[in-house]
Amino acid sequence: MSNLLSVENLSLKDRSTSNNVLRNISFNLREKEILGVVGESGSGKTLLSQAIVNWLPENLVISSGEINFLGKKMSAMSENELEKEIRGKEIAYIGPNAINSLDPTYSVGAQLLEKAVSIDKGNTSKEILKQKVISLLDDVLIPSPEKRFYEYPSQYSGGMMQRAMIVDALLSSPKLLVADNITMPLDVTVAAQIIKLMRVLRDKFNTTIIFSSSSLPVVREISDNLIIMKNGSIEEQNSTNEITSNPKSEHTKELIKNTPKIWSENINFQNIETKPILSIKNFSKSYKVRNKNKFNSFYQVKAVRDFSIDVYEGENLGIIGESGCGKSTLSRLISLLEKSDTGTITFNGEDLSDLNKDKIKNFRQSLQLILQDPYNSLPSRQTIGRIISEGLLIHTQLSKMEIKEKVLSIMSEVGIDQNEYNKLLVGKSGSFRQRVSIARALILEPKVIILDETLSSLDQKEQEMLLSLFSDIQAKRNLTYIFISHDLAMVRKSCNRIAVMYMGRIVELAKNEILFDKCGHPYTRTLLCTIPTLDKNPYDKNLYLMDGEPPDPTEIGTECSFKSRCPHFKNNKKGSTDMGLIEIQSGHWVDKCGVDCGR
Amino acid sequence: MHLAGQFVRRILQGVVVVLITTFLIFSILRIVPGDPVRLIVGGMAPDNLVEEIAQKMGLRDPIPVQFGRYLSQVVQGDLGNSYQRPKNGMMGQGGDFNANMDVEMAEVSDLILERLPYTLQLAGLALLISLIISFPLGISAGLKPKGFISKIAFFISSVFVSIPNFWLGIVLALFITIKLGLLPSIGYQNFAYTILPAIVLAVETCPFIIRTISVSFAEISQEYFIKSGKVRGLTRNGVIYRHTLRNASIPLLNLLGIQLSTLLGGVIVVEYIFDYPGLGQLTIYAVLQRDFPLIQGIAMVTSALYVGLNIAVDLITYSIDPRLES
Repeated sequence: MSNLLSVENLSLKDRSTSNNVLRNISFNLREKEILGVVGESGSGKTLLSQAIVNWLPENLVISSGEINFLGKKMSAMSENELEKEIRGKEIAYIGPNAINSLDPTYSVGAQLLEKAVSIDKGNTSKEILKQKVISLLDDVLIPSPEKRFYEYPSQYSGGMMQRAMIVDALLSSPKLLVADNITMPLDVTVAAQIIKLMRVLRDKFNTTIIFSSSSLPVVREISDNLIIMKNGSIEEQNSTNEITSNPKSEHTKELIKNTPKIWSENINFQNIETKPILSIKNFSKSYKVRNKNKFNSFYQVKAVRDFSIDVYEGENLGIIGESGCGKSTLSRLISLLEKSDTGTITFNGEDLSDLNKDKIKNFRQSLQLILQDPYNSLPSRQTIGRIISEGLLIHTQLSKMEIKEKVLSIMSEVGIDQNEYNKLLVGKSGSFRQRVSIARALILEPKVIILDETLSSLDQKEQEMLLSLFSDIQAKRNLTYIFISHDLAMVRKSCNRIAVMYMGRIVELAKNEILFDKCGHPYTRTLLCTIPTLDKNPYDKNLYLMDGEPPDPTEIGTECSFKSRCPHFKNNKKGSTDMGLIEIQSGHWVDKCGVDCGR
Repeated sequence: MHLAGQFVRRILQGVVVVLITTFLIFSILRIVPGDPVRLIVGGMAPDNLVEEIAQKMGLRDPIPVQFGRYLSQVVQGDLGNSYQRPKNGMMGQGGDFNANMDVEMAEVSDLILERLPYTLQLAGLALLISLIISFPLGISAGLKPKGFISKIAFFISSVFVSIPNFWLGIVLALFITIKLGLLPSIGYQNFAYTILPAIVLAVETCPFIIRTISVSFAEISQEYFIKSGKVRGLTRNGVIYRHTLRNASIPLLNLLGIQLSTLLGGVIVVEYIFDYPGLGQLTIYAVLQRDFPLIQGIAMVTSALYVGLNIAVDLITYSIDPRLES
């Protein structure tokens, strides 16, 4: 088979610093091949993708080497030729930033049509092109495409926008499709759907694909051959099987070693059934959203529904679910930043539902929240020492010296150099900032810490480091952690018990090993089958991966909210209205409806 | 349907705004010193006559009662009659005793309607001139924030914003009218009399428009959906005309709404300098003569215009960007 694309000794240079950001990249790509590119952030995989589509940031130039496409040298082509023939036509590009890829002031359909008209150059009537767009939207499994054609980008979810951008790329029937990190911002279930879709599309449209990602297990799912990149050069390239089963370079070996193990590694958590330190009964929260189609009427968005849980002292509780399932609302309710509509909260045997001011002030010392975004959750104009001392300034009357002493000792406990006391956060990494957040939370000696997606913006290595820091601190201070996350691999490593949330409710609650090995709810099974891992997954994606997305939260009725995606639910049957957790064995709670369906 | 709902809601809010402004103006006029009756009857009139006439005109009633009476007139479409301006257009000089008590006074609505077209013409021309200057400068500055044109645009804006309008008005009148004899400047006889005051107003508004256009163009150009247009295979000009311009026009429309309302409210200094017979000039005389019904009428009309324009701007921006509605 002939080569569609060959890259020879490609190097990229930064004009201002004259550093080489890509060095001597060479590879060949055959027609209909799917080439995976794996590298951490900063390894140059995005720059390589952009160089191939000729869409580099202005400060970067190709300093040596050549990209040949269909036997033609790209460097010999004029900008005009590139614009008219190559970019967005023969070679299409899809990036990670799907949600911002389209103009918010036009409907998605209008913009896809705009591109179709632009590449078609007026040979075909608009009506035919529109039919083409709609049929492609149908191909990428966008529900009711005729209606969705007229909706605006803000009405699309992240996963649907990524599908729309795939349509955008396919409109020109490109020979080569460069998919750069397209699953990065998506939930695992949606990411798994997109990968499945890419494979189907490859077979249907005979497209050659370059698929880059920072996650080896994700790329392995789809690629024929693999390139492993590090610091702007290729570490290893070979067929996917060969690399994953028999890695040659040290970097690849380490990469495989660091990929989270889910089932192949034994986990061992103590059984913690102490007294509950925090006990939540029947929490619910709904928000009013204005109905734009009617005058003065409102929707109810039920963000959290009838949520009850006991958190035991000293345990790590994981709460997982897709985006939009109500996790963050729940963390605000538990930390009393918002008042729940119904239900009670008891902390250390004390009922806080009456919102007595003194009790709440004490509670705020004992329960701390660490947030997801380490950039916006810390003030950028205060010194690190000042940020950490904030809690003490509010809750205590210690002298300046005493405060400084405490801050310095906390700083060394979380691994921040004491020299940083008077410095600002400018230029600090995400993990460093999270350490500051942790120190700020620890300074008041809390009993419970809620970690709301605290680790999800960090890469694998940084996550590992912080997780071990968390367990050190826990051993020393007998802390209780509540991990709120969508990352199942992280929860597997760190939590004793895990609650699975769907549309504001718990659908399953079990000990770590029981949940991962013998889960009872079909939704849990779906989540588990999508975990990107190199392990053998006991849950087969072909059986359990569900299509579609969570239903509109304004349309939750009294029936089981999972019915629209439940593989066991038959359309002619009414969804069960009999909900609520039942204990199918000691400590393993499953939603009633799910138990019936699971059988 | 949803736009109509929005529209009704905004109109209702607008009515409240107009009522509040009118009430504020109405009460402040009556609280601050200066008795209109004294000006009506003249300086030589005895105090008991002033008091008698004031009683007859209802000016000694509590302010809410007066306001209620005024409103009930207004809803019938009657803005009242001027205290000072007779119907035949002749102005009494005030000083004389019982100068103009018997003459029939001009209706406020007639006075305003007579002046409004002049002000509309002036405001429209001023806006047109400033858009002609600002658009090319602002857009090219916004597309290349570090380029040469951007520096020129910044220079022009700085100069324009620092020129005092009364000074520019006098200088233009001196050079263009007196020295060169190109354009007339004092009073109004035909369209040519609008040009110089419009230029002065345009110089005042230009810097804001240039700044808004260039900043919003530069900002929108950084958006991923603009930058990725190239890699999607769209042409550069297509992206600028269809996407950058459309998105950047939202802050511009908001600014124009405010600028135009200010211009319509009558630009007092400029109209005064050029003796231009617009609403601004009418306002000055009304205030100097304590002509309560006229001041109230002007305040009500300008605030209604302001509210109306801004509702229009909001509806236009909603139809451009549907996200703004929520």
